[in-house]
Formats: sequence, structure tokens, C-alpha cells
Amino acid sequence: MIRFSRLAMIATLALALAPVLPHNASAATDDEVAAHKIALDLAGAFSNDGFKLRDGNWAGPIRPKESIYIQVNLYAGNQYWFCTGATERAKKLLVTVYDETGQLVQSEAYQDGTKAAAGYSPTASGAYIIRIQETEGDPATVCLTYSYK
Amino acid sequence: MPLCRPFSTAVFSIGLAVAFYSVSAVAEPSQLTKDELSKVVKTDSVTVPTPGEIFAALGKEVKPNWQSAYRPPIPTTFTSRPQLALNLGGLIADGYIAVEAEDSQQVKNIGKDIINLAKALGVSKSILARGSSITDFADKSEWNTLKEELEETQNEVKQAMSDEHDQELITLVTLGGWVRGTGVVSSLIVDNYTPGSAKLIRQPALVSFMRAKLKELPEKTRTGDPLVKSLDEKLGDIEKLVVFPKDTVPTLDDVKKLRDTANSIENEISNKQ
Repeated sequence: MIRFSRLAMIATLALALAPVLPHNASAATDDEVAAHKIALDLAGAFSNDGFKLRDGNWAGPIRPKESIYIQVNLYAGNQYWFCTGATERAKKLLVTVYDETGQLVQSEAYQDGTKAAAGYSPTASGAYIIRIQETEGDPATVCLTYSYK
Repeated sequence: MPLCRPFSTAVFSIGLAVAFYSVSAVAEPSQLTKDELSKVVKTDSVTVPTPGEIFAALGKEVKPNWQSAYRPPIPTTFTSRPQLALNLGGLIADGYIAVEAEDSQQVKNIGKDIINLAKALGVSKSILARGSSITDFADKSEWNTLKEELEETQNEVKQAMSDEHDQELITLVTLGGWVRGTGVVSSLIVDNYTPGSAKLIRQPALVSFMRAKLKELPEKTRTGDPLVKSLDEKLGDIEKLVVFPKDTVPTLDDVKKLRDTANSIENEISNKQ
């Protein structure tokens, strides 16, 4: 019960802060705020399993059949979930993980309409690339955040 | 590949009827093209990990004595804004160390210093409430919440800097935290050396990202501020130590060199000019 209370507090805090925490410390658009809330909603679920949510996020426009590539730096031994959320004009997202050379790595994928995530446990520390694709839908705004443990 | 246990648990905790699958089953290109690689976005808010992430990885390899990583209180009365920003980042890293040590008094002390530095930078208004919540969470031993609170504090400071058109300071807060985190991690690895822990110092893209951000600073700051100029040069020394192939295991001497270089930079940052 205590754990759930704490998690509820974290989730509430994260959602409450969503409007004031834009990417790159610049003003967020309404669509970016909306996409961030969707990504946080998904990421919050992993908190139940001890994943700590990063406060940082990236948000921006995405077009159907196009991809966005974002570099992250990961540590061997940690487990990560990369969570994305998009505004409703997007119908389907896909998140995949590539290593620093651009080679696809095997990750666990979650997909549910405008929410998608990839789970990955690196065996080597270093840079990785998160690829976000809008596989169905119209031009939209997408947000990436991640959690780790 | 079956889901590993922690991921499986997380899957069920979502409680939604959705599809989980291995990406290898999806028709994905196995190799990004040069054109795709040229489009990779690097951003302070996602590309740079928090100190908490490397501390978490280190804690799986060894049993660090986090209190041994404490340092004496640093001055909070610098007159140079770049130096204030660098030290603010370092203090936030200190906060993560105190959280790992589960030392509520140390967390509260650092929280006060963070507020003092933020005041000196003129960005304290937005984070005064944070100081209060850091104290509350420390009193309640809410360690995981505190890690998130520390990052939120840092991001709120950066947001305030952005609002005040102080973009250059954002880079320096990030850099200060990374230098302090690197110094602490390398010191703890030296004290508890294992091949697995030593491989954690591999951060090739991170240093090049930091150096690129420094190059974006206004000329006045980059070459006119002696501390920033020196940092740029010393980051080159660090880069040589953290760039190595994935399967290479740094020796104890390699890690000691990184510790000494990072600590030397950290001392330069925290000494009053």
C-alpha cells in the first residue's frame, strides 16, 4: 500500500509537471505537452516495477512513414524502457533501438495506438539510437521519455 | 527471445490488452543508412544521462561506499556565472550521491546549497518549492522519489535559464554534473575494481556531445572565461580515456587516470577564481 501511495504521488507529480517541462528547455507547444502526457502515462506504468522515470524528454513533429532518431547514452547492467506518445492524428507508432553503429538490436516492443515503447538491457555501455516511426496516421506531434532501473 | 523476468512483470503491470513482441519479428532495417545516421538528434534533456543512471549501473557491479564519495561543502559565493552554473550541476550530482548513501541530512544540506547557488544565478524563484520538497522527501526517506526530484530541480533551473535567455548556462550545468559524476564513479571503481565496473566508463558519444555544446557557447564565454577555456582543453584528455572499443576492459590504471583527470577538473570548478 505504501508503495502504491508513493507511485501514485510520483505519477501525479509527473503529470502535474508535464506542462512546465518542455524539451530542450524551450517553450513547449500545446501538442508537445499533450504528447508528453501520453508518453508519461505509458512510462508511469513501468514505475510499478521499480523503473525510475527520467524527467527529460524530447518532443517534436512526426510525419507518417517517416522516422525520428534520437541518441541516448546507456549503461550496461541497467534496464531501460523508451516510451513514446503521440497526439491523436497519429494512429500507430513503433519504437526500435539501434547501437552506435546503426545496427538494430533486439528489444522488447510495446504498441498500443498512439503509445509505443521499447525495452532494452544493454550489454555494453555507450551510445544507442532510438528510432520512432509513425507507421499509420497523419502528421502529428510525438514525445519520447524513458525510464531505467 | 522470451521476455526477461523484470520486463515481463512490467508488462503485466501495465494491465492493458496490447501486443508485446520482440522487434526481431518486425520487418525493420537491420542497419541504419548513413543518411539516417546523419539525422540523429542529440539533446541535453535525453542524450545526457543523469548521474543516477550510472550510479544504478555501478551499484549492480559493486557495493560502493557512497559516503566515501562525499566532498567538503563547496563555496556558494562565486562571482562568475559560468562557474556558478558548473557548480550547480556538480551539487545536483552530489545530491544523487547522498540519495544513494540514503543520508537524509546530507540530502538536505545539499538541497540548501543548490538553492543558494540558484539564488546567486537569479533563478531561485522557480525552485524554492523544490528545496522544500527535497527536505520533505529526505525526511521520509523517499529515495527513489528524490532521484526524480533532483532531475526535476535541474530541469526547472534550466528552464528558468532558458526563460532568461541564458542558454549557455544550461550547457554548463549539464557539464558540471557530468564531471562530478564521472569523478565519483571512477573513484568508486578504483576502490572496488572489477572488469564489469571498469567498462562503465565507456562514454564516447557523451564527451563528444559535451565538447560540441561547449563549442556552441558564445566566443566571449568560450575563450574569455579562463575556467571554461580550461575545461574545453581537459575534456579532450577525458575523451581519450573514455573512448575505447566495446569489448575492451580498461585497466585499473586507466580508471585511475580518468579519476585523476576528472577530479582535477572538479577542483578547478569548485575553487574560487
